[in-house]
Amino acid sequence: MDFTFLIGQALTNGLIIGLLYLLMAIGFTLVFGVMRVVNFAHGEFYMLGAFVAYVCVTQLKLPFLAAVFATFAATLVVGWLIEVLVLKGFRGNELNGMISTIGLGMILQNGALLVFGPDPQSMPPVAQGMVSLGPIMLPMSRLYVVVFSIVVLALLYLFLMHSKGGRALRAVVQDPEIASAQGIRSNFMYPLGFGIGVALAAVAGALMAPVFSVSPSIGSTPLLKAFIVVILGGLGSIPGAALASLLLGVVESAANTFLSSSMSDMLLFGFVILMLIFRPSGLLGKSGR
Amino acid sequence: MKKILAASLLCVTCGAFAQEELKIGAIVTLSGAGAAWGQTMLYATELAADDVNAKGGLDVGGKKYKVKVVAYDDKYQAGEAVTAANRLVFEDKVKYVIGPVGSAAALAVGPIMEKNKVIMLTLGFTDKALAADKPFSFRPNLTTMETSQPQINWIVKAKNVKKVGALFPNDETGQQIAQDLEKAYAKAGAQMTSKEFFERERVDMMPLLTRIMAKGVDAIELDGNAPGTAGLIVKQARELGFKGHIIRSGGPATAEIVNVAGVTATNGMLVNTPINPANSDVKTYADRYFAKYKKRMNGFSPAFYDGTHMLFQAMTQAGTATDTDKVRVALEGIKDFKGILGTLNWTGKDVYGSNHQISAPFYVARVQDGQEVVESTCSLSSCQ
Repeated sequence: MDFTFLIGQALTNGLIIGLLYLLMAIGFTLVFGVMRVVNFAHGEFYMLGAFVAYVCVTQLKLPFLAAVFATFAATLVVGWLIEVLVLKGFRGNELNGMISTIGLGMILQNGALLVFGPDPQSMPPVAQGMVSLGPIMLPMSRLYVVVFSIVVLALLYLFLMHSKGGRALRAVVQDPEIASAQGIRSNFMYPLGFGIGVALAAVAGALMAPVFSVSPSIGSTPLLKAFIVVILGGLGSIPGAALASLLLGVVESAANTFLSSSMSDMLLFGFVILMLIFRPSGLLGKSGR
Repeated sequence: MKKILAASLLCVTCGAFAQEELKIGAIVTLSGAGAAWGQTMLYATELAADDVNAKGGLDVGGKKYKVKVVAYDDKYQAGEAVTAANRLVFEDKVKYVIGPVGSAAALAVGPIMEKNKVIMLTLGFTDKALAADKPFSFRPNLTTMETSQPQINWIVKAKNVKKVGALFPNDETGQQIAQDLEKAYAKAGAQMTSKEFFERERVDMMPLLTRIMAKGVDAIELDGNAPGTAGLIVKQARELGFKGHIIRSGGPATAEIVNVAGVTATNGMLVNTPINPANSDVKTYADRYFAKYKKRMNGFSPAFYDGTHMLFQAMTQAGTATDTDKVRVALEGIKDFKGILGTLNWTGKDVYGSNHQISAPFYVARVQDGQEVVESTCSLSSCQ
């Protein structure tokens, strides 16, 4: 058994998957931060994003980059509308908001089942072949995902940290009342926050669509991972999510490589439970909300 | 005018009275990983029903029955399958069921069917699906039990395979197939040096494949995985630079695998197939299937088309559609049935304790540019 190959490959696999988890988790934690709503439909937006990209590429013959942009724009609008039409009444109401997103998730999933049918669809790969670093193989299709994710995350960072809208959004996350006292229009910020959050999940779906297959049931696994990430990182904390998702990707990948797959799942959830018991606020979360 | 209208109305009602409805239940997977198989079984049953309905219905004991298929989705879960079985047996009052697809589901609904004397044609690959004390369970398709040994013997010899790695879903089907294949490879003189189990929803196979490849295997076995998952395994194995053979010893899925993994990644894959592309009956059936459902059929489909027709023949021979004891005996008694797959018989007494397992020819094919090219023709004893 070639040990360097195993370790190197496990680490790179883990980092790539970790970046995908990060895209999922940031949207999730953003929505929670803004609206105090645990968005159970988050995984379905991942699925929706995969389908939008699939339709853009296979039916409308758009290039992949354009498809990713279209996905972001389309789901931003859908998210905005859903916030205004459905979730408006539940702002700050955690339980009702959560239940309504469960229903929303079911509607989205079964809607996709009606429109697209149950068959897994396959999207043409964005890139073929691989790059080898010594014994380690880096599939081109996944390197693309890495590059795109980093670009998306950088744009998000710029928006949140260095734009007026981003600052306003962060202000709402930190304290909605003070924010509105400072003249920030929450009626604009809530839908924007939700829209951006779910659009990030959709972009993750669009990026992964050519790597995995596309079907109405693909949303549940990424949702679960997003959950784990935000619990580890601290609900509402973006740096925490970043740290936790990369950690999760690497640990999961390494555990899968060196232990058996079911063992690694057990290990992961054991870790999450320990975290909840001993540090419920997460790695970088603030306690006492 | 009025008279004609009245007469025709009368005739419509009299026609409806003369023709009774025969409901065939279907517990099939229509969403998620096993959907490709569930759909193909359901459509096979519907096409067989179309055949008899086109002739004015199924002729049983002088009565004409219009056949109607009632289908429920089991989502590849045993719990859902039990719910579906209860609905079919107690609410829809069906006496015949096609399905379920999965082994766990087949085992879970088995007792309901046996207790209520409902004849079940299941796809479930587990060896426990058929038994001496399960007189109402039949399997119209070949499973790994039947096909793996002759096929693996041939591949190991012809392709000089020594070390095999495999990934299986972590459930009844996967565990069972893993056990069978490990024995079969050992018998053929090769070794299954690494096997991995994973949860069915998993899509990222890279860590598992990394582990398998680190053991230096010269072939990866796909049997036991749902078509979509198998496609992902092939795609990701090739992306990791795997250059050895990819083998699928059972469970037809070539069209779906090619669809997911692409033409280049699947070139040279060795697959088990119940269908000889040169068989014109199957080709006609496949064209009909495509015309109606706008989809390429899965390789299991002809087996269930033949199986449903065998069931119809058994009802006609027994002269009853309601007394399933008699129909079961008639079904068991069918010999040399001329199906679209070839000549079909029941076998399985030695392995399962009852002759409820179909015996049909099958083939080993190499995938070339997305199409299967037959390399070897097999019977249940050997491949040529």
